[in-house]
Amino acid sequence: MRYAVGAIAISLVLSGAAASNADEPRRLTIDGHVKRDPVFAKADGSELIFTMLEKPTQLRLMKLNLKTQQVAAVHPEETRSEFEATVSADGRYLAFVQNRGNLSLALVIKDLAENKQADIPPQGGFSGMHCPAIAPDLSRVIYSYPEDGRQHLFECNLRAEQRRRLVDSEGVNNWPHFAADGSRVVFGSSRDDDYEIYVMRPDGTDARRLTHSPGQDIRPKFSPDGKRIAFTSNRDGNYEIYLMQADGSGVQRLTNNPEQDDCACWHPDGRSLIVVSERKGRHDLYQIAVP
Amino acid sequence: MIDVGSFRAQSCRGLSRRSFLRLGAAVPAALGATGLLAPQQTALANAKARAKSTILVWLWGAPSHVDTLDPKPDALAQYRGPFAPIATKTPGVFYSELLPKLAQRSDRYTLVRSNVSTMPGHPDAGTLGLTGFPEKPEPVQPNFGSIIAKHRGHHGSLPPFVMVGTGIPRDVVRKVDGYGGGTLGKLWDPFPVSCSDTGQVSIPALQLLDGLNPNRIADRKSLLGQVDAAERQLKQAGFEDWNRQYQQAYGLLTNAQARAAFDLTQELEGTRDEYGQTTFGQSCLMARRLVEARVPYVQVNWSEYVESITPNCDFGWDTHIYNFEMLQDTHCPIFDRAFSALLDDLERRGLLDTTLVVAMGEFGRTPRINSRAARDHWPQCYFSIWAGAGLPRGRVIGQSDKYGENPVTDPITPLMVGTTMCELAGLDTQARAELNVLNGGRVIHELMS
Repeated sequence: MRYAVGAIAISLVLSGAAASNADEPRRLTIDGHVKRDPVFAKADGSELIFTMLEKPTQLRLMKLNLKTQQVAAVHPEETRSEFEATVSADGRYLAFVQNRGNLSLALVIKDLAENKQADIPPQGGFSGMHCPAIAPDLSRVIYSYPEDGRQHLFECNLRAEQRRRLVDSEGVNNWPHFAADGSRVVFGSSRDDDYEIYVMRPDGTDARRLTHSPGQDIRPKFSPDGKRIAFTSNRDGNYEIYLMQADGSGVQRLTNNPEQDDCACWHPDGRSLIVVSERKGRHDLYQIAVP
Repeated sequence: MIDVGSFRAQSCRGLSRRSFLRLGAAVPAALGATGLLAPQQTALANAKARAKSTILVWLWGAPSHVDTLDPKPDALAQYRGPFAPIATKTPGVFYSELLPKLAQRSDRYTLVRSNVSTMPGHPDAGTLGLTGFPEKPEPVQPNFGSIIAKHRGHHGSLPPFVMVGTGIPRDVVRKVDGYGGGTLGKLWDPFPVSCSDTGQVSIPALQLLDGLNPNRIADRKSLLGQVDAAERQLKQAGFEDWNRQYQQAYGLLTNAQARAAFDLTQELEGTRDEYGQTTFGQSCLMARRLVEARVPYVQVNWSEYVESITPNCDFGWDTHIYNFEMLQDTHCPIFDRAFSALLDDLERRGLLDTTLVVAMGEFGRTPRINSRAARDHWPQCYFSIWAGAGLPRGRVIGQSDKYGENPVTDPITPLMVGTTMCELAGLDTQARAELNVLNGGRVIHELMS
């Protein structure tokens, strides 16, 4: 077991760290509520969907119009918690996790064009799916699900059928994300110890480790051109956004915030990221330029 | 004008409408300089108390000890979890990477890693953890806060035992029986308040005063009439302890200092930021304000604050699923920030030496990862944090085995926890005997020396 960067070394690391390469971030929300998982809902980059802790008992899916900066609930009448949303590349399908009872979570796949919905209900007892990702060719949804003391990656089709285990390894496998051409899936896994970033083929084969750092490397996202990966890491003692090439080389720290930066999401133009940034104890969405 | 709160009655028949009290000079004037209350029994704080005030941060739901403050990096994969250990300021002591701020402050408190409970379910273990005794056989024993409250007595207009949180902790089965006065009586139940992430304060007892909006009160006679009407409603609703709550609520209405203790808007924005703009963060800030106002005992409940994947259940840290995700994404960052800020703030204000701060849950979680890649209940071993009140700092007391399944040192029981808290608050053996509480309990001597 390797040890992460010691907490007492944090201040030294930060003071000696290279300055951020990013331009001044643009603040997109101002309410300060806890937020997670931003994802673009439209290919033109005009609308985001994200999760917000609207009140202590409800996580709600929200949409943000980037032109007007208006924020509204995706499902205004919904009283159950919904989170970890993802949208298909064509904007037709919305998948997310939905609370169905006490510690019971379903995976919901909505066909927004047909106004139809499919789901994988909780499996009985305490259970729940995590972090769906929709293949660009709409052939499948990959999601994370715990079984047998480990957390695997599964797949199903867009009708929530033909469920199949894709990745079976030690530890927790989570945060799958497709490259835009559908040829690879990047994800996080603790199979080798703490969380690292891995890449595999969409059928679950040829998994390769991309990061080798103490602490967590999590929530990877392919850039729209598939050449780079943005991810969150606390390798320098605090959660920041990092970039690397798709083969794991050229790791570069993008943010430098004494509080947490997390949940990076690429703008469709590939020139900026949307991140959840904690500043003065408030959590908001910021847009940061990518060098 | 002070925004005291927004109140929504939930259970009292006939008192279900929403009101919003904006309290200004009109209310004290209408009530008169002496208020409407009968004089309360008042007792001076025990001069021998090392802890003039006590804050219990009650981590309801039971946090995983091995994923937080007692990591086992060399354990087998089926135990270890995905989080790396980080160094603390205490040489040779490591925490989970999820708590970097607490790691940086390990020289300010003592960590106990050998707490044990005997109850595997939340309500039972909650009662045991808060009273030192199981619920059965009855009667239910008093909450440690109720004991200290009775020992100190009512002081001014503020209740001696305030519980910050959204009501009494509960899971889907029932509430915790040991939340309040127990054998000491309901007079020593906690006075519940809560606040939102934006700092808006809710005081349920003021539901009793619904309709007493100063804008509708022309004079004292009119107010008295409405009080009488409210009282009739309460009696009809079968509200058992209306008198006590009435008194406390009026105490707040009529005393500007008391009202100010609950007013988070009086804090500097920077201070509120330090605690985090979360419900739990602002609740910890509220606790510090109440300590400044010399409230003897404050219990901050982690309950409905962040456990939002299961609405309407106070599961708190009960991570039977999503353990690693919830700890990483919400619970640990929020706790790490708020609790660290609380210690910093108390220290900065010179209050930490006279305030005991304890954080713990009702038990720990299974060191072995369950079938859902999460962790279940584990009463055999858990942690508690002890800060302030002149206690030695920067130490770890007790040790668990290689997987965190059992203590390998003398176990620390809930009865020992309560006895120690009360001892520090000035209740020595004789005082406890006179109240007939915590019988058989002994102080955690390792903590005191």
